[in-house]
Amino acid sequence: MDIQRELLDTVLRADQAGANALLDAWAAEHGYGRLLVDVVEPMLEYVGRTYMDSQSVTLAQAYVAGMIAEDALNKMVAQNRRGQAENVSPRGPVVIGNIEEDFHALGRRMVGTFLTAEGWQVHDLGNDVSAQQFVDKAQEVGARVIGVSAMMTTTARNIGHLRAEIDRRGLTGRIQLAVGGAIFVLCPELVQEVGGDGTAQNALGATRLFEQLWQRSLEREAGA
Amino acid sequence: MNGIERVQATLTGQAVDRRAVAPVLSLYGARLTGCPLDRYYTDSELYARGQAAVADLFQPDLLFSSFSFASVGAAFGGNLFFSGNQAPNLRRPAILSPEEWDTLVWPRHDTNPHLLYFQETIQRLVEAHGSEVLVAAPVVPPFDVPTLVMGIEGWLRLVLTDRSRARGVLEKCVPFFVEMANSYFEAGAACVVAPCGFMSPSVVTRDIAEHFSRPALAAALPQLKGPIVLHHVGAPMLAHLDLLTGLPSTLGLAVDRQDDLDQARAIAGPDLTIFGGPSVFRMPGYTASEIEADCRALLENRRQDARFILCTAGPDVPWETPPENIQALRRTAESFSGRSVPA
Repeated sequence: MDIQRELLDTVLRADQAGANALLDAWAAEHGYGRLLVDVVEPMLEYVGRTYMDSQSVTLAQAYVAGMIAEDALNKMVAQNRRGQAENVSPRGPVVIGNIEEDFHALGRRMVGTFLTAEGWQVHDLGNDVSAQQFVDKAQEVGARVIGVSAMMTTTARNIGHLRAEIDRRGLTGRIQLAVGGAIFVLCPELVQEVGGDGTAQNALGATRLFEQLWQRSLEREAGA
Repeated sequence: MNGIERVQATLTGQAVDRRAVAPVLSLYGARLTGCPLDRYYTDSELYARGQAAVADLFQPDLLFSSFSFASVGAAFGGNLFFSGNQAPNLRRPAILSPEEWDTLVWPRHDTNPHLLYFQETIQRLVEAHGSEVLVAAPVVPPFDVPTLVMGIEGWLRLVLTDRSRARGVLEKCVPFFVEMANSYFEAGAACVVAPCGFMSPSVVTRDIAEHFSRPALAAALPQLKGPIVLHHVGAPMLAHLDLLTGLPSTLGLAVDRQDDLDQARAIAGPDLTIFGGPSVFRMPGYTASEIEADCRALLENRRQDARFILCTAGPDVPWETPPENIQALRRTAESFSGRSVPA
Protein backbone atom coordinates (compact mmCIF):
# COMPACT_ATOMS: atom_id res chain seq x y z
CA MET A 1 0.00 0.00 0.00
CA ASP A 2 1.44 3.43 -0.89
CA ILE A 3 1.96 6.20 1.61
CA GLN A 4 -0.87 8.36 0.30
CA ARG A 5 -3.37 5.52 0.58
CA GLU A 6 -2.15 4.62 4.05
CA LEU A 7 -2.41 8.25 5.09
CA LEU A 8 -5.92 8.44 3.72
CA ASP A 9 -6.85 5.40 5.79
CA THR A 10 -5.62 7.10 8.95
CA VAL A 11 -7.76 10.12 8.08
CA LEU A 12 -10.85 7.98 7.58
CA ARG A 13 -10.18 6.31 10.94
CA ALA A 14 -9.58 9.76 12.47
CA ASP A 15 -6.32 8.25 13.69
CA GLN A 16 -3.99 11.15 14.38
CA ALA A 17 -1.28 9.05 16.06
CA GLY A 18 -1.22 6.63 13.15
CA ALA A 19 -0.89 9.49 10.70
CA ASN A 20 2.03 10.98 12.61
CA ALA A 21 3.80 7.64 12.69
CA LEU A 22 3.38 7.28 8.94
CA LEU A 23 4.69 10.76 8.22
CA ASP A 24 7.67 10.32 10.51
CA ALA A 25 8.54 6.99 8.91
CA TRP A 26 8.30 8.49 5.42
CA ALA A 27 10.41 11.49 6.44
CA ALA A 28 13.04 9.25 8.01
CA GLU A 29 13.58 7.72 4.59
CA HIS A 30 12.95 10.70 2.30
CA GLY A 31 13.47 13.70 4.55
CA TYR A 32 10.95 16.44 5.30
CA GLY A 33 11.75 18.54 2.27
CA ARG A 34 9.09 17.12 0.02
CA LEU A 35 6.66 15.87 2.66
CA LEU A 36 3.98 18.38 1.79
CA VAL A 37 4.25 18.12 -1.97
CA ASP A 38 4.68 14.38 -2.29
CA VAL A 39 2.48 13.13 0.53
CA VAL A 40 0.22 15.59 2.27
CA GLU A 41 -0.95 17.69 -0.64
CA PRO A 42 -1.98 14.72 -2.83
CA MET A 43 -3.84 13.24 0.13
CA LEU A 44 -5.68 16.51 0.77
CA GLU A 45 -6.41 16.86 -2.93
CA TYR A 46 -7.85 13.35 -3.05
CA VAL A 47 -9.94 13.75 0.07
CA GLY A 48 -11.14 17.17 -1.02
CA ARG A 49 -12.09 15.91 -4.48
CA THR A 50 -13.79 12.82 -3.10
CA TYR A 51 -15.73 14.49 -0.34
CA MET A 52 -16.29 18.06 -1.47
CA ASP A 53 -19.68 17.15 -2.90
CA SER A 54 -20.82 14.93 -0.07
CA GLN A 55 -21.48 15.17 3.62
CA SER A 56 -19.99 11.77 4.34
CA VAL A 57 -16.77 13.04 5.83
CA THR A 58 -17.04 13.59 9.57
CA LEU A 59 -15.78 16.64 11.36
CA ALA A 60 -13.30 14.41 13.17
CA GLN A 61 -11.91 13.04 9.89
CA ALA A 62 -11.57 16.49 8.35
CA TYR A 63 -9.95 17.72 11.54
CA VAL A 64 -7.39 14.92 11.46
CA ALA A 65 -6.60 15.83 7.85
CA GLY A 66 -6.05 19.39 9.04
CA MET A 67 -3.83 18.27 11.89
CA ILE A 68 -1.78 16.17 9.48
CA ALA A 69 -1.26 19.19 7.25
CA GLU A 70 -0.44 21.39 10.24
CA ASP A 71 1.97 18.84 11.70
CA ALA A 72 3.70 18.38 8.36
CA LEU A 73 4.17 22.14 8.03
CA ASN A 74 5.49 22.42 11.56
CA LYS A 75 7.91 19.53 11.08
CA MET A 76 9.23 21.04 7.89
CA VAL A 77 9.78 24.34 9.61
CA ALA A 78 11.39 22.59 12.59
CA GLN A 79 13.72 20.77 10.26
CA ASN A 80 14.67 24.08 8.70
CA ARG A 81 13.81 22.89 5.21
CA ARG A 82 12.40 26.24 4.19
CA GLY A 83 9.09 24.45 3.96
CA GLN A 84 6.53 25.57 1.50
CA ALA A 85 8.68 28.28 -0.01
CA GLU A 86 10.88 25.60 -1.49
CA ASN A 87 8.25 23.11 -2.47
CA VAL A 88 4.95 24.76 -3.09
CA SER A 89 4.20 27.57 -5.51
CA PRO A 90 3.15 30.57 -3.42
CA ARG A 91 -0.48 31.53 -3.88
CA GLY A 92 -2.65 34.29 -2.62
CA PRO A 93 -2.78 36.27 -0.49
CA VAL A 94 -6.30 35.62 0.78
CA VAL A 95 -8.25 36.83 3.80
CA ILE A 96 -10.46 34.63 5.97
CA GLY A 97 -12.56 35.17 9.09
CA ASN A 98 -15.89 34.59 10.79
CA ILE A 99 -18.49 37.22 10.07
CA GLU A 100 -19.57 39.65 12.76
CA GLU A 101 -21.36 37.99 15.69
CA ASP A 102 -20.12 34.53 14.71
CA PHE A 103 -17.78 32.70 17.09
CA HIS A 104 -17.65 29.20 15.58
CA ALA A 105 -13.97 29.17 14.73
CA LEU A 106 -13.26 25.52 14.01
CA GLY A 107 -14.28 25.38 10.34
CA ARG A 108 -12.49 28.60 9.55
CA ARG A 109 -9.31 27.45 11.23
CA MET A 110 -9.40 24.20 9.28
CA VAL A 111 -9.81 26.11 6.04
CA GLY A 112 -6.81 28.22 7.00
CA THR A 113 -4.75 25.12 7.66
CA PHE A 114 -5.65 23.47 4.36
CA LEU A 115 -4.98 26.67 2.41
CA THR A 116 -1.63 27.19 4.12
CA ALA A 117 -0.63 23.60 3.46
CA GLU A 118 -1.22 24.15 -0.23
CA GLY A 119 0.87 27.28 -0.33
CA TRP A 120 -1.67 30.04 0.12
CA GLN A 121 -0.67 33.10 2.08
CA VAL A 122 -3.55 33.33 4.56
CA HIS A 123 -4.53 36.34 6.65
CA ASP A 124 -6.86 34.97 9.32
CA LEU A 125 -8.78 37.77 11.02
CA GLY A 126 -10.44 35.49 13.59
CA ASN A 127 -14.01 35.67 14.90
CA ASP A 128 -16.59 38.45 14.83
CA VAL A 129 -15.05 40.38 11.94
CA SER A 130 -16.89 43.38 10.50
CA ALA A 131 -17.40 43.95 6.78
CA GLN A 132 -15.09 46.96 6.90
CA GLN A 133 -12.30 44.98 8.57
CA PHE A 134 -12.52 42.26 5.92
CA VAL A 135 -12.31 44.65 2.99
CA ASP A 136 -9.69 46.89 4.61
CA LYS A 137 -7.39 43.88 5.05
CA ALA A 138 -8.08 42.54 1.57
CA GLN A 139 -7.17 45.89 0.05
CA GLU A 140 -4.12 46.25 2.28
CA VAL A 141 -2.61 42.90 1.27
CA GLY A 142 -4.00 42.70 -2.27
CA ALA A 143 -6.24 39.68 -1.72
CA ARG A 144 -8.49 38.54 -4.54
CA VAL A 145 -10.52 36.19 -2.34
CA ILE A 146 -12.18 36.75 1.02
CA GLY A 147 -13.35 33.58 2.78
CA VAL A 148 -16.07 34.22 5.31
CA SER A 149 -17.59 31.68 7.66
CA ALA A 150 -20.91 31.56 9.51
CA MET A 151 -22.63 28.82 11.47
CA MET A 152 -26.25 29.86 11.67
CA THR A 153 -28.82 31.52 9.41
CA THR A 154 -28.83 34.67 11.48
CA THR A 155 -25.09 35.26 11.31
CA ALA A 156 -24.93 34.11 7.69
CA ARG A 157 -27.19 37.00 6.79
CA ASN A 158 -24.57 39.40 8.21
CA ILE A 159 -22.42 38.38 5.24
CA GLY A 160 -24.74 40.54 3.16
CA HIS A 161 -23.02 43.56 4.77
CA LEU A 162 -19.68 42.29 3.48
CA ARG A 163 -21.10 41.83 -0.01
CA ALA A 164 -22.40 45.38 0.11
CA GLU A 165 -19.06 46.74 1.32
CA ILE A 166 -17.16 45.01 -1.50
CA ASP A 167 -19.58 46.42 -4.04
CA ARG A 168 -19.63 49.87 -2.43
CA ARG A 169 -15.86 50.16 -2.84
CA GLY A 170 -16.06 49.18 -6.51
CA LEU A 171 -14.35 45.84 -5.96
CA THR A 172 -17.08 43.62 -7.40
CA GLY A 173 -15.45 40.80 -9.34
CA ARG A 174 -11.96 41.90 -8.29
CA ILE A 175 -12.51 40.51 -4.79
CA GLN A 176 -14.36 37.21 -4.84
CA LEU A 177 -16.41 36.20 -1.81
CA ALA A 178 -16.19 32.57 -0.65
CA VAL A 179 -18.81 31.69 1.95
CA GLY A 180 -18.72 28.64 4.17
CA GLY A 181 -20.20 26.95 7.21
CA ALA A 182 -22.72 24.23 7.86
CA ILE A 183 -25.68 26.47 7.17
CA PHE A 184 -24.67 26.84 3.51
CA VAL A 185 -24.70 23.08 3.09
CA LEU A 186 -28.14 22.86 4.64
CA CYS A 187 -29.52 25.89 2.79
CA PRO A 188 -27.58 26.29 -0.48
CA GLU A 189 -29.85 29.13 -1.59
CA LEU A 190 -28.29 31.23 1.17
CA VAL A 191 -25.10 31.53 -0.89
CA GLN A 192 -26.89 33.65 -3.45
CA GLU A 193 -29.01 35.42 -0.86
CA VAL A 194 -25.99 36.78 1.01
CA GLY A 195 -24.10 37.54 -2.19
CA GLY A 196 -21.51 34.77 -2.09
CA ASP A 197 -19.51 33.98 -5.22
CA GLY A 198 -19.05 30.34 -4.25
CA THR A 199 -19.02 27.80 -1.45
CA ALA A 200 -17.69 24.34 -0.62
CA GLN A 201 -19.31 21.41 1.15
CA ASN A 202 -16.60 21.33 3.79
CA ALA A 203 -13.18 22.69 4.73
CA LEU A 204 -11.46 20.13 2.55
CA GLY A 205 -13.14 21.55 -0.52
CA ALA A 206 -12.07 25.10 0.26
CA THR A 207 -8.72 25.01 -1.52
CA ARG A 208 -10.32 24.10 -4.84
CA LEU A 209 -12.92 26.79 -4.34
CA PHE A 210 -10.30 29.45 -3.60
CA GLU A 211 -8.35 28.42 -6.70
CA GLN A 212 -11.47 28.75 -8.84
CA LEU A 213 -12.38 32.13 -7.38
CA TRP A 214 -8.83 33.42 -7.74
CA GLN A 215 -8.91 32.51 -11.43
CA ARG A 216 -12.31 34.11 -11.82
CA SER A 217 -11.00 37.32 -10.29
CA LEU A 218 -8.10 37.37 -12.75
CA GLU A 219 -10.43 36.72 -15.68
CA ARG A 220 -12.84 39.44 -14.61
CA GLU A 221 -9.98 41.91 -14.31
CA ALA A 222 -8.54 40.91 -17.65
CA GLY A 223 -11.94 41.26 -19.28
CA ALA A 224 -12.72 44.58 -17.64
CA MET B 1 -57.30 16.00 24.80
CA ASN B 2 -54.90 18.54 26.22
CA GLY B 3 -51.20 18.53 25.47
CA ILE B 4 -50.31 16.32 28.40
CA GLU B 5 -52.88 13.69 27.48
CA ARG B 6 -51.91 13.82 23.81
CA VAL B 7 -48.20 13.39 24.45
CA GLN B 8 -48.65 10.72 27.10
CA ALA B 9 -50.99 8.78 24.82
CA THR B 10 -48.41 9.00 22.04
CA LEU B 11 -45.62 7.78 24.29
CA THR B 12 -47.65 4.73 25.25
CA GLY B 13 -48.90 4.07 21.73
CA GLN B 14 -52.52 4.93 22.47
CA ALA B 15 -54.98 6.68 20.18
CA VAL B 16 -54.94 10.48 20.04
CA ASP B 17 -57.39 13.07 18.77
CA ARG B 18 -54.60 14.51 16.61
CA ARG B 19 -50.86 14.25 16.40
CA ALA B 20 -48.92 15.95 19.18
CA VAL B 21 -46.98 18.99 17.99
CA ALA B 22 -43.76 20.17 19.60
CA PRO B 23 -41.88 22.96 17.80
CA VAL B 24 -38.72 24.07 19.60
CA LEU B 25 -39.51 27.69 20.41
CA SER B 26 -37.16 28.56 23.22
CA LEU B 27 -35.68 31.57 21.41
CA TYR B 28 -38.91 32.56 19.71
CA GLY B 29 -40.53 33.57 23.00
CA ALA B 30 -38.16 36.53 23.17
CA ARG B 31 -39.24 37.66 19.75
CA LEU B 32 -42.89 37.49 20.75
CA THR B 33 -42.36 39.57 23.88
CA GLY B 34 -39.68 41.86 22.45
CA CYS B 35 -37.36 40.90 25.28
CA PRO B 36 -33.63 41.73 24.96
CA LEU B 37 -31.77 38.44 24.79
CA ASP B 38 -29.23 39.26 27.47
CA ARG B 39 -32.17 39.51 29.88
CA TYR B 40 -34.24 36.70 28.42
CA TYR B 41 -31.42 34.21 28.91
CA THR B 42 -30.57 35.30 32.44
CA ASP B 43 -33.94 36.14 34.02
CA SER B 44 -36.25 33.16 34.34
CA GLU B 45 -39.31 35.35 34.78
CA LEU B 46 -38.72 37.01 31.41
CA TYR B 47 -38.12 33.62 29.83
CA ALA B 48 -41.41 32.37 31.27
CA ARG B 49 -43.23 35.40 29.85
CA GLY B 50 -41.84 34.58 26.44
CA GLN B 51 -43.00 31.00 26.71
CA ALA B 52 -46.44 32.16 27.83
CA ALA B 53 -46.61 34.08 24.57
CA VAL B 54 -45.51 30.95 22.72
CA ALA B 55 -48.24 28.95 24.45
CA ASP B 56 -50.88 31.56 23.63
CA LEU B 57 -49.99 31.93 19.98
CA PHE B 58 -49.02 28.40 18.99
CA GLN B 59 -50.59 26.13 21.63
CA PRO B 60 -47.84 23.50 21.40
CA ASP B 61 -48.20 20.18 23.20
CA LEU B 62 -44.74 20.51 24.74
CA LEU B 63 -42.99 23.60 26.05
CA PHE B 64 -39.22 23.80 26.19
CA SER B 65 -37.17 25.32 28.95
CA SER B 66 -34.21 27.48 28.03
CA PHE B 67 -32.15 26.15 25.14
CA SER B 68 -28.99 28.12 25.84
CA PHE B 69 -26.12 25.68 26.13
CA ALA B 70 -23.57 28.48 26.02
CA SER B 71 -24.86 29.44 29.48
CA VAL B 72 -23.57 26.09 30.74
CA GLY B 73 -20.17 27.11 29.41
CA ALA B 74 -20.58 30.42 31.23
CA ALA B 75 -21.18 28.51 34.46
CA PHE B 76 -17.64 27.19 34.11
CA GLY B 77 -16.27 30.69 33.50
CA GLY B 78 -16.71 31.09 29.76
CA ASN B 79 -17.47 34.50 28.31
CA LEU B 80 -20.92 34.93 26.75
CA PHE B 81 -21.78 36.96 23.69
CA PHE B 82 -25.39 38.11 23.25
CA SER B 83 -26.72 39.17 19.88
CA GLY B 84 -30.08 40.56 18.92
CA ASN B 85 -31.61 37.50 17.29
CA GLN B 86 -29.99 34.25 18.39
CA ALA B 87 -29.26 32.34 21.57
CA PRO B 88 -26.01 33.34 23.26
CA ASN B 89 -22.69 32.07 22.02
CA LEU B 90 -19.44 31.54 23.84
CA ARG B 91 -17.03 34.27 22.91
CA ARG B 92 -14.25 32.53 24.83
CA PRO B 93 -14.40 29.15 26.61
CA ALA B 94 -13.38 28.78 30.24
CA ILE B 95 -10.20 26.81 29.60
CA LEU B 96 -7.90 26.39 26.64
CA SER B 97 -5.54 23.55 27.53
CA PRO B 98 -6.18 19.94 28.56
CA GLU B 99 -4.09 20.44 31.68
CA GLU B 100 -6.57 22.97 33.03
CA TRP B 101 -9.11 20.19 33.48
CA ASP B 102 -7.04 19.01 36.45
CA THR B 103 -7.62 22.22 38.40
CA LEU B 104 -11.00 23.18 37.02
CA VAL B 105 -13.56 24.22 39.62
CA TRP B 106 -16.84 22.58 38.62
CA PRO B 107 -19.92 24.77 39.09
CA ARG B 108 -22.55 23.55 41.53
CA HIS B 109 -26.09 23.05 40.29
CA ASP B 110 -27.57 24.39 43.51
CA THR B 111 -25.61 27.65 43.71
CA ASN B 112 -24.29 28.70 40.29
CA PRO B 113 -26.62 31.40 38.90
CA HIS B 114 -26.25 30.22 35.31
CA LEU B 115 -27.30 26.70 36.26
CA LEU B 116 -30.01 27.83 38.66
CA TYR B 117 -31.54 29.84 35.82
CA PHE B 118 -32.30 26.64 33.92
CA GLN B 119 -34.05 25.11 36.92
CA GLU B 120 -36.01 28.29 37.58
CA THR B 121 -37.27 28.47 34.00
CA ILE B 122 -38.56 24.91 34.34
CA GLN B 123 -40.27 25.68 37.64
CA ARG B 124 -41.96 28.75 36.20
CA LEU B 125 -43.14 26.93 33.09
CA VAL B 126 -44.53 24.05 35.13
CA GLU B 127 -46.29 26.44 37.51
CA ALA B 128 -47.88 28.39 34.67
CA HIS B 129 -48.63 25.66 32.15
CA GLY B 130 -48.18 22.36 33.93
CA SER B 131 -51.86 21.49 33.94
CA GLU B 132 -52.02 21.69 30.16
CA VAL B 133 -48.65 20.78 28.67
CA LEU B 134 -45.51 18.92 29.59
CA VAL B 135 -42.22 20.75 29.95
CA ALA B 136 -39.16 19.33 28.21
CA ALA B 137 -35.70 20.49 29.22
CA PRO B 138 -32.78 20.59 26.79
CA VAL B 139 -29.71 19.14 28.50
CA VAL B 140 -26.07 18.84 27.47
CA PRO B 141 -25.02 15.18 27.24
CA PRO B 142 -21.81 14.21 29.02
CA PHE B 143 -19.66 13.93 25.89
CA ASP B 144 -20.63 17.45 24.79
CA VAL B 145 -20.05 19.20 28.13
CA PRO B 146 -16.34 19.63 27.31
CA THR B 147 -17.18 21.49 24.09
CA LEU B 148 -18.74 24.16 26.30
CA VAL B 149 -15.79 24.22 28.69
CA MET B 150 -12.84 24.22 26.27
CA GLY B 151 -14.47 24.76 22.85
CA ILE B 152 -15.21 22.13 20.25
CA GLU B 153 -11.77 22.35 18.71
CA GLY B 154 -9.99 21.77 22.00
CA TRP B 155 -12.24 18.85 22.86
CA LEU B 156 -12.02 17.29 19.41
CA ARG B 157 -8.24 17.58 19.47
CA LEU B 158 -8.09 15.98 22.91
CA VAL B 159 -10.34 13.08 21.87
CA LEU B 160 -8.27 12.51 18.73
CA THR B 161 -4.83 12.85 20.24
CA ASP B 162 -5.07 11.73 23.85
CA ARG B 163 -7.97 9.35 24.24
CA SER B 164 -6.92 8.33 27.73
CA ARG B 165 -6.99 11.88 29.08
CA ALA B 166 -10.19 12.57 27.17
CA ARG B 167 -11.78 9.55 28.79
CA GLY B 168 -10.76 10.87 32.18
CA VAL B 169 -12.48 14.18 31.40
CA LEU B 170 -15.56 12.37 30.15
CA GLU B 171 -15.79 10.36 33.36
CA LYS B 172 -15.99 13.63 35.29
CA CYS B 173 -18.71 14.89 32.96
CA VAL B 174 -21.01 11.93 33.65
CA PRO B 175 -21.90 12.92 37.24
CA PHE B 176 -22.15 16.58 36.18
CA PHE B 177 -24.66 15.61 33.49
CA VAL B 178 -26.60 13.36 35.87
CA GLU B 179 -26.87 16.12 38.48
CA MET B 180 -27.89 18.64 35.84
CA ALA B 181 -30.60 16.42 34.38
CA ASN B 182 -31.88 15.38 37.79
CA SER B 183 -32.07 19.01 38.89
CA TYR B 184 -34.34 19.55 35.89
CA PHE B 185 -36.56 16.65 36.89
CA GLU B 186 -36.74 17.97 40.45
CA ALA B 187 -37.79 21.33 39.02
CA GLY B 188 -40.67 19.62 37.22
CA ALA B 189 -39.42 18.69 33.76
CA ALA B 190 -41.32 15.76 32.27
CA CYS B 191 -38.31 14.74 30.22
CA VAL B 192 -34.91 15.99 29.16
CA VAL B 193 -33.77 16.29 25.55
CA ALA B 194 -30.10 15.72 24.77
CA PRO B 195 -28.71 16.82 21.38
CA CYS B 196 -25.92 14.29 20.91
CA GLY B 197 -23.11 16.08 19.06
CA PHE B 198 -20.37 13.59 19.77
CA MET B 199 -22.62 10.76 18.61
CA SER B 200 -23.43 12.38 15.27
CA PRO B 201 -22.12 10.88 12.01
CA SER B 202 -21.35 14.40 10.86
CA VAL B 203 -19.08 14.98 13.84
CA VAL B 204 -17.36 11.75 14.84
CA THR B 205 -16.51 8.40 13.34
CA ARG B 206 -18.54 5.37 14.30
CA ASP B 207 -15.61 4.09 16.32
CA ILE B 208 -15.60 7.22 18.50
CA ALA B 209 -19.39 7.22 18.81
CA GLU B 210 -19.52 3.56 19.76
CA HIS B 211 -16.48 3.15 21.95
CA PHE B 212 -16.00 6.62 23.44
CA SER B 213 -19.31 8.47 23.57
CA ARG B 214 -21.90 5.73 23.96
CA PRO B 215 -20.37 4.19 27.10
CA ALA B 216 -20.77 7.56 28.82
CA LEU B 217 -24.48 7.56 28.00
CA ALA B 218 -24.76 3.97 29.14
CA ALA B 219 -23.16 4.92 32.46
CA ALA B 220 -25.23 8.07 32.95
CA LEU B 221 -28.74 7.17 31.87
CA PRO B 222 -29.49 4.57 34.59
CA GLN B 223 -28.91 7.34 37.14
CA LEU B 224 -31.56 9.66 35.72
CA LYS B 225 -34.74 10.29 37.67
CA GLY B 226 -36.79 10.66 34.52
CA PRO B 227 -36.86 9.90 30.80
CA ILE B 228 -34.67 11.29 28.04
CA VAL B 229 -35.06 11.98 24.34
CA LEU B 230 -31.85 11.58 22.35
CA HIS B 231 -31.60 14.18 19.64
CA HIS B 232 -29.84 14.39 16.26
CA VAL B 233 -28.26 17.82 16.93
CA GLY B 234 -29.34 19.25 13.57
CA ALA B 235 -27.68 16.77 11.21
CA PRO B 236 -28.57 13.30 9.87
CA MET B 237 -28.27 10.67 12.60
CA LEU B 238 -29.43 7.51 10.85
CA ALA B 239 -25.94 6.00 10.37
CA HIS B 240 -25.40 6.03 14.14
CA LEU B 241 -29.01 5.78 15.28
CA ASP B 242 -28.58 2.17 16.37
CA LEU B 243 -26.01 3.35 18.89
CA LEU B 244 -28.74 5.40 20.60
CA THR B 245 -30.98 2.38 21.10
CA GLY B 246 -30.92 -0.15 23.91
CA LEU B 247 -30.10 2.52 26.47
CA PRO B 248 -32.05 2.88 29.73
CA SER B 249 -34.39 5.80 30.43
CA THR B 250 -34.76 6.57 26.73
CA LEU B 251 -38.30 7.34 25.66
CA GLY B 252 -37.64 8.67 22.20
CA LEU B 253 -35.31 9.61 19.38
CA ALA B 254 -35.44 12.93 17.56
CA VAL B 255 -34.27 12.50 13.96
CA ASP B 256 -33.23 14.87 11.22
CA ARG B 257 -35.45 15.78 8.27
CA GLN B 258 -32.96 14.04 5.98
CA ASP B 259 -33.23 10.78 7.93
CA ASP B 260 -35.50 8.13 6.42
CA LEU B 261 -38.32 7.67 8.93
CA ASP B 262 -39.06 4.07 7.96
CA GLN B 263 -35.44 3.17 8.53
CA ALA B 264 -35.41 5.15 11.74
CA ARG B 265 -38.42 3.22 13.00
CA ALA B 266 -36.86 -0.09 12.01
CA ILE B 267 -33.72 0.79 13.96
CA ALA B 268 -35.55 2.27 16.94
CA GLY B 269 -37.90 -0.66 17.36
CA PRO B 270 -41.59 -0.35 18.22
CA ASP B 271 -41.42 1.17 21.68
CA LEU B 272 -39.45 4.38 21.25
CA THR B 273 -41.29 7.51 20.19
CA ILE B 274 -39.87 9.17 17.09
CA PHE B 275 -39.76 12.95 16.92
CA GLY B 276 -39.53 14.32 13.37
CA GLY B 277 -40.52 17.39 11.44
CA PRO B 278 -39.53 20.10 9.02
CA SER B 279 -35.97 21.35 9.22
CA VAL B 280 -35.64 24.52 11.27
CA PHE B 281 -33.06 25.70 8.75
CA ARG B 282 -35.83 25.79 6.15
CA MET B 283 -38.46 27.42 8.29
CA PRO B 284 -37.54 31.06 7.67
CA GLY B 285 -37.40 30.67 3.88
CA TYR B 286 -40.35 28.39 3.22
CA THR B 287 -43.89 29.61 2.88
CA ALA B 288 -46.51 28.38 5.31
CA SER B 289 -47.95 26.26 2.50
CA GLU B 290 -44.59 24.62 1.94
CA ILE B 291 -44.25 23.88 5.65
CA GLU B 292 -47.76 22.40 5.63
CA ALA B 293 -46.91 20.23 2.64
CA ASP B 294 -43.76 19.01 4.36
CA CYS B 295 -45.64 18.22 7.57
CA ARG B 296 -48.38 16.46 5.64
CA ALA B 297 -45.82 14.28 3.89
CA LEU B 298 -44.29 13.38 7.23
CA LEU B 299 -47.65 12.56 8.80
CA GLU B 300 -48.65 10.53 5.78
CA ASN B 301 -45.42 8.59 6.09
CA ARG B 302 -46.14 7.94 9.79
CA ARG B 303 -49.84 7.23 9.32
CA GLN B 304 -49.61 3.80 10.93
CA ASP B 305 -47.03 4.82 13.51
CA ALA B 306 -48.68 5.61 16.83
CA ARG B 307 -45.47 6.73 18.48
CA PHE B 308 -44.66 9.77 16.39
CA ILE B 309 -44.59 13.42 17.44
CA LEU B 310 -44.43 16.25 14.93
CA CYS B 311 -41.69 18.61 16.00
CA THR B 312 -39.18 20.87 14.31
CA ALA B 313 -35.94 19.19 13.30
CA GLY B 314 -32.76 20.93 14.39
CA PRO B 315 -31.93 23.42 17.10
CA ASP B 316 -34.23 26.30 17.99
CA VAL B 317 -36.63 27.64 15.38
CA PRO B 318 -34.81 30.71 13.98
CA TRP B 319 -35.83 34.17 15.07
CA GLU B 320 -36.76 35.35 11.59
CA THR B 321 -39.28 32.54 10.98
CA PRO B 322 -42.72 33.98 10.22
CA PRO B 323 -45.29 33.00 12.87
CA GLU B 324 -47.58 31.50 10.24
CA ASN B 325 -44.84 28.99 9.37
CA ILE B 326 -44.86 27.76 12.96
CA GLN B 327 -48.65 27.71 13.10
CA ALA B 328 -48.53 25.52 10.01
CA LEU B 329 -47.41 22.56 12.14
CA ARG B 330 -50.45 22.45 14.36
CA ARG B 331 -52.76 23.39 11.53
CA THR B 332 -51.52 20.41 9.54
CA ALA B 333 -51.84 18.09 12.52
CA GLU B 334 -55.42 19.24 13.04
CA SER B 335 -56.41 18.92 9.40
CA PHE B 336 -54.75 15.53 9.20
CA SER B 337 -56.44 14.18 12.31
CA GLY B 338 -59.53 12.97 10.50
CA ARG B 339 -57.44 10.65 8.40
CA SER B 340 -54.79 9.47 10.87
CA VAL B 341 -55.13 6.01 12.34
CA PRO B 342 -52.84 5.86 15.33
CA ALA B 343 -52.75 2.93 17.75
